[in-house]
Amino acid sequence: MTLFAVSAEFNAAPWATVVICLALMAGFTGYLLPATIHFLTLAVCLSTGFLAYLAFSLPEAQFWYLLDSFGVAFQLDALSGYFLLTNALVTLAVLVYCWNTGRSAFFYAQLIILHTSLNSAFLCADFMSLYVALEVVAIAAFCLMTYPREPRIIWLGLRYLLLSNTAMLFYLIGVALVYSNSQSFAFSGLTQAPPEATALIFLGLLTKGGIFLAGLWLPQTHGEAATPMSALMSGVVVKAGILGLLRCGLLSDQLLLLVQGLGVATALFGVAYAMLAKDTKRMLAFHTVSQMGFVLAAPVAGGFYALTHGLVKSSLFLLAGNLPSRDFKILQKTPIAAGFWVPLLLASSSIAGFPLLAGFEAKTLTLKGLPPWLAIALNIAAVGTAISFSKFVFLKPTFVGKTYPLGLGIALAVLLGGLAVGNVVYWQAFTASNLLKATLTCGVGAGLYWGVVKRLTLKLPDGGEQVDHLIGMMSISLTILFAWILV
Amino acid sequence: MVGPEACIFATVMIGFLGLIYKRNLLMKIVAMDVISTGVIGYYCFVAARTGVTTPIVGAEVSPGPIQYADPLPQAVILTAIVIGFSTQILMLVIAMKLAKENPTLEIAAIEREYWS
Repeated sequence: MTLFAVSAEFNAAPWATVVICLALMAGFTGYLLPATIHFLTLAVCLSTGFLAYLAFSLPEAQFWYLLDSFGVAFQLDALSGYFLLTNALVTLAVLVYCWNTGRSAFFYAQLIILHTSLNSAFLCADFMSLYVALEVVAIAAFCLMTYPREPRIIWLGLRYLLLSNTAMLFYLIGVALVYSNSQSFAFSGLTQAPPEATALIFLGLLTKGGIFLAGLWLPQTHGEAATPMSALMSGVVVKAGILGLLRCGLLSDQLLLLVQGLGVATALFGVAYAMLAKDTKRMLAFHTVSQMGFVLAAPVAGGFYALTHGLVKSSLFLLAGNLPSRDFKILQKTPIAAGFWVPLLLASSSIAGFPLLAGFEAKTLTLKGLPPWLAIALNIAAVGTAISFSKFVFLKPTFVGKTYPLGLGIALAVLLGGLAVGNVVYWQAFTASNLLKATLTCGVGAGLYWGVVKRLTLKLPDGGEQVDHLIGMMSISLTILFAWILV
Repeated sequence: MVGPEACIFATVMIGFLGLIYKRNLLMKIVAMDVISTGVIGYYCFVAARTGVTTPIVGAEVSPGPIQYADPLPQAVILTAIVIGFSTQILMLVIAMKLAKENPTLEIAAIEREYWS
């Protein structure tokens, strides 16, 4: 996994601190000196990439305690390394995509702040630091989302803030319960805390990560945001809450079962909506929900899966924003330029688990060694994924087409190149049975798409996505969590 | 000590019910602030479990062990207060912007207008 051996005595703490603090300073400096901001953002992305590299090459996870016994700590291990790498690559792609679009220094400053707060969310190992990081992420994401200043986007941003902030208040009550129980904010205190603490903390993280019923705000928000912002939000912003859930799930068997159960429910629920979606960006957003379920279903392989998902989803959002229409019906009638169709094919095959790019290894690694009930449910979700991405694959390519924006080309090269290199992570996946299974899944998906789904005109209701219903869904999620934990 | 705790959770519940039942955007934001008040109160309550004396060395001279308040929850809730009110301000500013187009700020009307 590493080019240079790092000795066991090596302490990565100063590096991590420097990367986070300097990045924040770079954001504010760039805002004051707009001429430098593109390059500062580039430097910030590269330094995050370096931190991810350190995380992979450390012989074992490193912890640093900032307060004596209160569990306020941050940690660097391979799991956070995957998330850091996702953050670096996706932000880099978004930066390249926006390079010549004339966006103001404010946009890039917010981009750096969002990037850095995500980094700190991936590094922290206690509930309180996670709370602060997640709230800064929400505010920065909101500022980026509402950058176009259109009333509709402003309304969706406001809805996002209202929901995420309310959920985080419940999370805080849970954290107080953990603290009063174990006198520390560390994640490990959750196992001894009363069950209601788990329910409240999970409600906050589920809402942030767009999981199951608490995450119904996500499709509309991600679908309607501007193209680079959709890519960023689906690519990394939702993962801030997911990593917290993964860390909680790795604490005890009971919590692991809860996280996996939520993951499977989410994977199936998201894919059902995505199969029937009529709008490209809305379908991609529902897919984010479903794929986050996959990440949670196998916390051990979750990091790698999150990386492949982030790269694929960002490239698909960047592509979908540049297609002639957002409606699948219109797209099926118009030929698509090959320059768009080939990356669409690559990214779609990766996310459906076809053996070409790293998505196949990630899926194999996720499905390996799971209990049967989980594996069956996830395989059904995988077929659903293949069905919904057939919509992109079976568009008509044409070799005469419109010119290609340079920024988009470089961004896609970064993302899809990352996926191609990602193939080395788990090359053991290339066995005959795995290849056959993956091809079969995609084949069945494509067949079902041609036979059944293409002719369906069913439309699932979207009434559950209004503010009142979203808040109601939050209380229903909390009730379900309580029921699960107390039973 | 059950009384204060019950009052705190009642505050949170009132805020949450306000968030569901109030139809006006401004009222919803205020309801969120009510929940936030309850949460802050709960942290102060957790800090007071060990006593209510200010934890400053040499401030009090008494024969028995002094019942100090736990400073840490108070310290972290300060951060949460700041984050909460900055989000609150951001939301109110955005609500002012929305009010130019939708003077009543009724959620139902706003959603009808912006729903695709």
